[in-house]
Amino acid sequence: MGSNVKSNEIPLQKNTLWTSLRTTLQKGPAPAPRRNAASVQPSIFSTLMRPNVPNPKDFIPLYCDCMSKACSRTQEYLLFKDPEDKFHPSPEVLTQIFLMTYISQSIHLNMTDSFNCTVMTPQQRILLGADWVWAILDKPTKNPRIQIAVQVLHMANGEGVVENYPRESGTESLQMAQRESSNKTVCERMVDFCASVGKECYALFLFLGRRNDAGNIYGVLSNNFQAAIGKCDNIDRDLIENFFKGSKYLHTPTGMLQSIISKRDQEALTLLIKFS
Amino acid sequence: MAATQDAKGKGEGGDQNFDYMFKLLIIGNSSVGKTSFLFRYADDAFTSAFVSTVGIDFKVKTVYKNEKRIKLQIWDTAGQERYRTITTAYYRGAMGFILMYDITNEESFGAVQDWATQIKTYSWDNAQVVLAGNKCDMEEERVVSVDSGRLLAEQLGFEFFETSAKDNVNVKQTFERLVDLICDKMSESLDTDPAVTTGAATAKLSDSAPPLQQQGCNC
Ligand SMILES: Nc1nc2c(ncn2[C@@H]2O[C@H](COP(=O)(O)OP(=O)(O)OP(=O)(O)O)[C@@H](O)[C@H]2O)c(=O)[nH]1
Ligand SMILES: [Mg+2]
Repeated sequence: MGSNVKSNEIPLQKNTLWTSLRTTLQKGPAPAPRRNAASVQPSIFSTLMRPNVPNPKDFIPLYCDCMSKACSRTQEYLLFKDPEDKFHPSPEVLTQIFLMTYISQSIHLNMTDSFNCTVMTPQQRILLGADWVWAILDKPTKNPRIQIAVQVLHMANGEGVVENYPRESGTESLQMAQRESSNKTVCERMVDFCASVGKECYALFLFLGRRNDAGNIYGVLSNNFQAAIGKCDNIDRDLIENFFKGSKYLHTPTGMLQSIISKRDQEALTLLIKFS
Repeated sequence: MAATQDAKGKGEGGDQNFDYMFKLLIIGNSSVGKTSFLFRYADDAFTSAFVSTVGIDFKVKTVYKNEKRIKLQIWDTAGQERYRTITTAYYRGAMGFILMYDITNEESFGAVQDWATQIKTYSWDNAQVVLAGNKCDMEEERVVSVDSGRLLAEQLGFEFFETSAKDNVNVKQTFERLVDLICDKMSESLDTDPAVTTGAATAKLSDSAPPLQQQGCNC
């Protein structure tokens, strides 16, 4: 796996030059994420630009760029057709590919002072239910203003759904963490965590493949999932995936961040997003 | 044999590998060095990068005292205000606290009183507390004197250490002192209150953690 990631480093760099040109030039409304940035060759002029000097407020296009890279890299593995059926990257590995691609791009774009990503420790993943937490930071203090806790949901080899895949359950401290939080599903734990922080903390369930669309990446984001707790027996993948049935409008990553930023205090917000 | 099992902490014996389990919490303002302090103690490492803790986290470390194995479940709480609801939920059942401030940060010292009140409000009455003035390697930037730290600790009835997670000063000592205090308290209450031996207080003590063994702590 490691060598696969390495071998792609050169095209990644090229894209980045192109991207930094694009984000420096564009001052208007944030663009939609570029799907096939990979096929665009960098202009000769891009090499003349000073790289990595984005407007610190303008993290939305940078975020979209990171997401677009992370999604297309992950999709390479989601969509990989193996003639001998020998490769089955585990949920853990897919999460890592996604996150490593996201992180390396966000560091490259120098955006982590305004929008950062904190990866949870294995214990925190169990206790809080989140795999990582994004935060929009206030400029002088670098304190998080808005947070998005993310939990990745996976498909089993193409078709079925992975329920509560073992999150590195081997070690003693992880067993301890399990015991501390055994009365709740991992989805509920993240919803509880976000609710305890407040309305500026969103839960995002990131689907690496959905039923009937195993190759695309979707999300359900809300600061109000706890409203469902009272109504349902428990919050699980099925409940969250059901949100897609009720609504046909899918936001872009840009639309997601814009809605979050322009939301009024204490307002509830629930969105469906297509990332890939 | 037992030591190997401990190290791996796996399998059936995983939870029986100790005589006592102590739940400890590290609290204090954001950036005083709580995570670094635990990282130094559990992994003997330090990094100067600051990654503010999200919510709560923990590590496990086993210590030996008078031939007894004591498993420490050490909770690293996030100092940021936004996580107060989630962190105070973990105070319940804690037997010891390390309340930390940063000797180069007046505000973190000023907040010690509030943190002490949080302990009183949310934890068990007999919980033991050690006050730690961290970053004592940064003498040039010091704004809180050793004496004012010691005085405040006296007033609050806490033990006191100045520490450095960076230079590994008094890190082990702070934990060892806290463990001693808890052991003293345990044998004290076992001596005076026979009800304790029947499990009344131990149930409170351990809460969601596995129950403590029912003899006194001979440490
Ligand atoms: N010089 C020095 N720096 C330290 C020491 N301990 C921690 N730091 C630094 O202080 C910063 C904050 O440390 P953390 O351990 O993350 O602080 P924290 O208390 O866990 O902060 P929150 O998780 O936000 O509550 C980091 O940059 C550390 O490297 C120390 O003993 N000496
Ligand atoms: Mg911390």
